[in-house]
Amino acid sequence: MKKIVIVALLAMVNGAWSMANAQQLTGRDVIQKVKDRPDGDTRYGELELVLKKKNGTTRQRKVTSWAMDEGKDTKKMMFFTYPGDVKGTGFLTWDYDQIGKEDAKWLYLPAMKKTRRISGSSSKTDYFMGTDFTYDDMGQRHVDEDKHKLLREENRNGHKCWVVESVPVDKHEVYSRKVSWIRQDCLIADHVEYYDKLNKLHRVLTIQEVKKIQGFWTILKMEMKNVQTEHSTTITVKNSQYGVKVDKALFTVAKLEKGL
Amino acid sequence: MKSVLILALLWCLVPRSAMAQDEDSLRVAVKGFVDTYHALRTEQPNNWMSSRSRVRGEVTIEKGHAGAFVTANLVHNAILKDRSGFQLREAYAYYSDNHWDVRAGQQIITWGVADALRLTDIISPMDYTEFLAQDYDDIRMPVGSLRLRYSRQKWSLEAVAIPVSTFFNLPTDNENPWSVGPIPIGPEPSHKAYNMEYGSRLMVFLSGIDFSFSALHTWNKQPVLCNGVGEYRRMTMLGADASVPMGKFVVRGEVAEYFDELQTGGARAASTNALIGIDWYAGNDWTLSAQYAHKYVALGQHRNTGLSTLRISKELLHNTLALQTFAYIDVTNGGVFNRLSADYALNDQLHAIVGYDLFHADSGMFDVYKKNSELFIKLKYSF
Repeated sequence: MKKIVIVALLAMVNGAWSMANAQQLTGRDVIQKVKDRPDGDTRYGELELVLKKKNGTTRQRKVTSWAMDEGKDTKKMMFFTYPGDVKGTGFLTWDYDQIGKEDAKWLYLPAMKKTRRISGSSSKTDYFMGTDFTYDDMGQRHVDEDKHKLLREENRNGHKCWVVESVPVDKHEVYSRKVSWIRQDCLIADHVEYYDKLNKLHRVLTIQEVKKIQGFWTILKMEMKNVQTEHSTTITVKNSQYGVKVDKALFTVAKLEKGL
Repeated sequence: MKSVLILALLWCLVPRSAMAQDEDSLRVAVKGFVDTYHALRTEQPNNWMSSRSRVRGEVTIEKGHAGAFVTANLVHNAILKDRSGFQLREAYAYYSDNHWDVRAGQQIITWGVADALRLTDIISPMDYTEFLAQDYDDIRMPVGSLRLRYSRQKWSLEAVAIPVSTFFNLPTDNENPWSVGPIPIGPEPSHKAYNMEYGSRLMVFLSGIDFSFSALHTWNKQPVLCNGVGEYRRMTMLGADASVPMGKFVVRGEVAEYFDELQTGGARAASTNALIGIDWYAGNDWTLSAQYAHKYVALGQHRNTGLSTLRISKELLHNTLALQTFAYIDVTNGGVFNRLSADYALNDQLHAIVGYDLFHADSGMFDVYKKNSELFIKLKYSF
């Protein structure tokens, strides 16, 4: 009996500590935690994107990418490997953490044998290669580009989650608000709902597979569905690697033109 | 030998993925396409302007830092019979490490930031067999050259040497609907060491601007009429270009001074070439791009000429349908060449493209083609 009382007491203390901890956390803190989730200084991945129409027909894209952190900034190199008409097309991006500093982006078109400097800001709200993901969804959004509010904590799909509502500061964003269920165990969203300008549910992101690779939590499969058009895109990440040996020289226009 | 090359090209048709990424293993990457293109003149006599099909193969073989790249066409051209057959395009060997990139062989070299206009981009000449009614990568001609590039994170220095120059391919055969007329072309420069082309370009890439400076000792690659004969002469180009992203816009500028350029009639004079362009990434898959290029020749009565371009493109249906209009506008003479096209992806590999080439001119560079407006259709299977 004494044992039961002690256990109950410990549980109460633990519960009270958790509540206090949750009360101290803000929505911004949660999103900052997500952004700060360790993901290595260098990364490599092969992405398969399957675009599915309402009638069931599918199209596919394949991308190979490298990323390297330099302080708070990130450099990325990405090449399309499928389908054949875009194979070899490359993107080089220098993402700056500093809010207001425009990212630097280059596009290499192999048919033209030419690299173009492209706008660093406009494509963020455009959809990436016809998928249901915007360029912003594919990259890392700055924490303060939205105002965040921690709504509650709840269990979803067996995972304890923080539920955070994020409202963009810039009213020109494609969504008016999004609600994210952030898993507390791995600091990865389990589910995100995007609402349009009329506050109607527009897109739903579902993270379908998460795994720890080389000690880093990694999304292996996710689906973004436009619930208004019923078009969806599934991204499967293959051969994900961290701490890959890449030189800074990979993230240059010269290497972009050299290709894979 | 030819049959071996054809077999090699057909072998390229077998799809295969790049082999293991291990640096020391042999990697073979293959891509290409099969396309068929047919264009019908919409003015009298409503004849076929183009009717051609081809296989394009591109092979990269790489081991460690060294490799080779080969691209070639196998073409059947029902209108221009002499254009049928095997066409080797690029074929070069390379060495590339973190900082050095050396390429030797037949290759396309592009300089500058202008889109479809040539100011500093005068190394690889143009194949005007079908004028501008071909894909841009078919219009650019490779040159046999050595290109040496040294790159650091924010800059690159490039040096090129072209032992034997390659010149514009101008259609002078009257059987060709794109013929510029029976113009006699004078001899190309002798294949001597002192006739080689050489040049250099320094490129800088910063967070808010890209810019470069270039210099090239070259030839006028497009023959200039002197006493009724197309001639080539030496000239030197000094140039600079810049691209500046500004929010949803990218502003591009390019200048090139051609020293001692051969002018119509045979005189030599310097010319100043300047271009300003703006790209607008408007969102929702809209892109608009406009350019104006001006040429000033320090000689003669007609010293100023202007050429402008306008491109508007829009992608629809999750990038399944791409609509584009691209116009060259001869500002000096009021002529226009506009290519309007719709590209629909039937599936991942197969694209159907329909379009219309509109020519409107009473004088100037498009005058010779004022009855060449055409409707075209193209099917392209990529692998």
